[in-house]
Amino acid sequence: MSDPILQSLEQSLDHCIKCNICTTACPVAAVTDLFPGPKYVGPQAQRFRRPGQPSPDHSVDYCSGCRVCNMVCPTGVKIAELNARARAEIVAERGLPLRNRLLGRAELLGQVGDLFAPLANWTLRNGPLRQVIERTIGVDRHAPLPPFSGQTFRRIFRKRRGRLRSATKKVVFFHGCATNYYEPHVGLAAVEVLEHNGFEVILARQRCCGLPMLSNGEFAAARQQHEANLQTLLPWVRRGYPIVGTSTSCTLTLKEEAPELLGIHSADARLLTAHTWDICEFLRDLHERGELRTDFALPPEFTDGPLPYHPPCQLRAHRIGRPALDLLTLIPGLRVAESEAACCGIAGTYGLKQEKYQIGMDVGAGLFRFVRETAATMPQPLALCDSETCRWQITHGSAVPTKHPIEILRDAYRAGGNLTGTQVH
Amino acid sequence: MTYDCIVIGAGLAGLVSGLRLAEAGLQVLIIAKGHGATHWAHGAVGVAHGSSPAATVTYLAGQPNHPYARAGLAALAPALNLLQAHCAAADYPFSGDLARNQYLPTALGARLPLAFVPATMAAGAVPRADAAALLIAGFQELRDFFPSLMAANLRAQGVAAQAQWLSLPTTARRHGFTPTILAELFEQPSFRQAVGRQLRAVRGTATQIAFPAVLGQSQAARVVADLSDHAGVPVFEVPTLPPSVPGMRLYTILAQAFTSAGGRIQLGSWITRVESNAGRITALYSAAAAREQRHQAATFLLATGGIAGGGFRAEQSGQLTETALGLPVVAPAHRGAWFANQFIAPQPIHTAGILTDAALRPIAANGAPLYTNLVVAGAALGGTDLIREGSYEGVALATGWYAAGTVLNDLLGVREPVDQAATFTKELL
Repeated sequence: MSDPILQSLEQSLDHCIKCNICTTACPVAAVTDLFPGPKYVGPQAQRFRRPGQPSPDHSVDYCSGCRVCNMVCPTGVKIAELNARARAEIVAERGLPLRNRLLGRAELLGQVGDLFAPLANWTLRNGPLRQVIERTIGVDRHAPLPPFSGQTFRRIFRKRRGRLRSATKKVVFFHGCATNYYEPHVGLAAVEVLEHNGFEVILARQRCCGLPMLSNGEFAAARQQHEANLQTLLPWVRRGYPIVGTSTSCTLTLKEEAPELLGIHSADARLLTAHTWDICEFLRDLHERGELRTDFALPPEFTDGPLPYHPPCQLRAHRIGRPALDLLTLIPGLRVAESEAACCGIAGTYGLKQEKYQIGMDVGAGLFRFVRETAATMPQPLALCDSETCRWQITHGSAVPTKHPIEILRDAYRAGGNLTGTQVH
Repeated sequence: MTYDCIVIGAGLAGLVSGLRLAEAGLQVLIIAKGHGATHWAHGAVGVAHGSSPAATVTYLAGQPNHPYARAGLAALAPALNLLQAHCAAADYPFSGDLARNQYLPTALGARLPLAFVPATMAAGAVPRADAAALLIAGFQELRDFFPSLMAANLRAQGVAAQAQWLSLPTTARRHGFTPTILAELFEQPSFRQAVGRQLRAVRGTATQIAFPAVLGQSQAARVVADLSDHAGVPVFEVPTLPPSVPGMRLYTILAQAFTSAGGRIQLGSWITRVESNAGRITALYSAAAAREQRHQAATFLLATGGIAGGGFRAEQSGQLTETALGLPVVAPAHRGAWFANQFIAPQPIHTAGILTDAALRPIAANGAPLYTNLVVAGAALGGTDLIREGSYEGVALATGWYAAGTVLNDLLGVREPVDQAATFTKELL
């Protein structure tokens, strides 16, 4: 027990009072009996997990990692972390299926897809080919796989003209794989908002945060990713620059998931943690210090409403409240309705897997209904969510286009008429 | 983001006070570690033991440090009105009377005095020995509810009670029949029809049927009415071991009312420290990934519960600490004094709590307020043994309402309608 994080996880299970509040809140146990619930596979099964002993409970693989259990637990048991570590032990025992190895490599998939974007996108839209993919590697034929943008965020960013320079206000943008390969427009919206507030945006070298590997139980590979990011990000952090990301899962991984699950608790790792911010959290903090520009105006397309907003699991796991909602209230006249759904069901790569696809859709059913019904009042239906895979799943399940809140903030600055940053179309 | 009031704790006291404040137009945040007391408790309203809860409350209010001495019937009545109005609006009406307790059977066959009960329990008053016959039904698939145990204990008290296992209608699910899963199944008309038919077939001469409290979530009153129709006699719910479905219904109704009134709820957040200046709390901090989150507000309301709710924790030394703000806790001097010699006896540790002034502001030993913009509600108040008194919900409601009144008074200069309250109290007695 030299690892203090493992020690704290092990000790947290002794705080379990078996009240089953986690079981009542678990969105997966509610829709399938393949997962008995967080209490059973978490603190209860953990007592039977010992080094060198076989894993007692393989149903832990059906944990989606949404962390709703942690959020509702009245005694602070780190259930989701116990489950993630248990899954890694099963992977170590039995090996990793090819499918999960692939899904863990978001960056590699992005690089390949970027090179052959038209072909890759055609493949992803091709029904018969998707059936072949489903049968051979087990990615569900219906699962929401977004198209490659064909132009990476990094390439677009470097080609931008008139980038804002600042001697004093700089942030490092952590774009993550989704923004780089699939949704460069989300990154560009963040850059516009940051520059409008006088920040020079730095594009540091970076690798995939490693979360897809962590959630598929591939810990050794995830460790390499985190250590590579430490190397390239630390020089900036040491100069005092914050690391800001639009992907709530990447920033959560840098902040907490990687250090906690992998037991990386060096002074360097803590330094990176302390400087990492979700974009909305960062902007809210600016606002609380009176440093955020508030020259917002309501874009005409949002005069109706309310806009449905879903706080994704990976944002809730930051435990910072609802920074996007706090910011959106600064836009005069904008009405937003917050979803009460526990989860959209995708949980990163969980809902892509053939054997879990339907579970994910059942988990998200309530959210899809909420989004459809709320957005129905708008001439151009739209939903908001901070996390990329959740946006894709919400759109897949509800047929309502879904944006990152930063895009609405950017639109509201534009509507305000004073956007100083360079616009990119 | 600066709130008018931050409520710490999402149990009954926190929800009711938050709701009152939000409905008065204040910006309110309820912050909590997780779900708690609502999900553990029976989901009805116990006000006090004795045939007349109102009379007992008046008696208890005579004890100087009792929570009812600070917030008695005058606060309890409007709090109950608030609760009843929102539950009725959610098709989950409560009925009852502060002048008369109803005695409902527990899963062990004990009799629980309750002032107000949801419609799903309303038919459950324990029959007198010479009156009706009670059938207690259940599913073996539901852990922790044993009809025969409950029936045996009721028979020992002279109640004609029989037990009966039912067979669970076939569903897509093969195992894992937790209270919440069963409650969801009962929301389906075909499922409750199948159960109702079985009840009719096995009911014999029974005039009432008791069932574990898993009879629906958002349509529970409808589920019980349908089951009663199918069975041909009134069906009522008996609270189960945690998790409590009736408690979850109450949480859901109050939380939705609170957010509809503009309130915000943040779960999974543990308060780590407090920042103060000149006797006022200026901000709270909660644990978060990477760094603490700072929360600013004009006023603060502590409703974190007692020992059971997690509001207090005992250190190795035997000293009790208040977990959110580090307030002083009045408790037995040492571990040896915590417990009485007998299990069924008043336990001194259960009276541990935070000392307050008449406005529910926590005070130091010398009587001076610790912070002028902080009030306390619910089981954290101590000064009495709520479980033993059967006053757990009554105290949460009355003090939650009253503490919110102090906040309104401080922020808006709203005075409590004292005269009206006094008249109301007189009417009740």
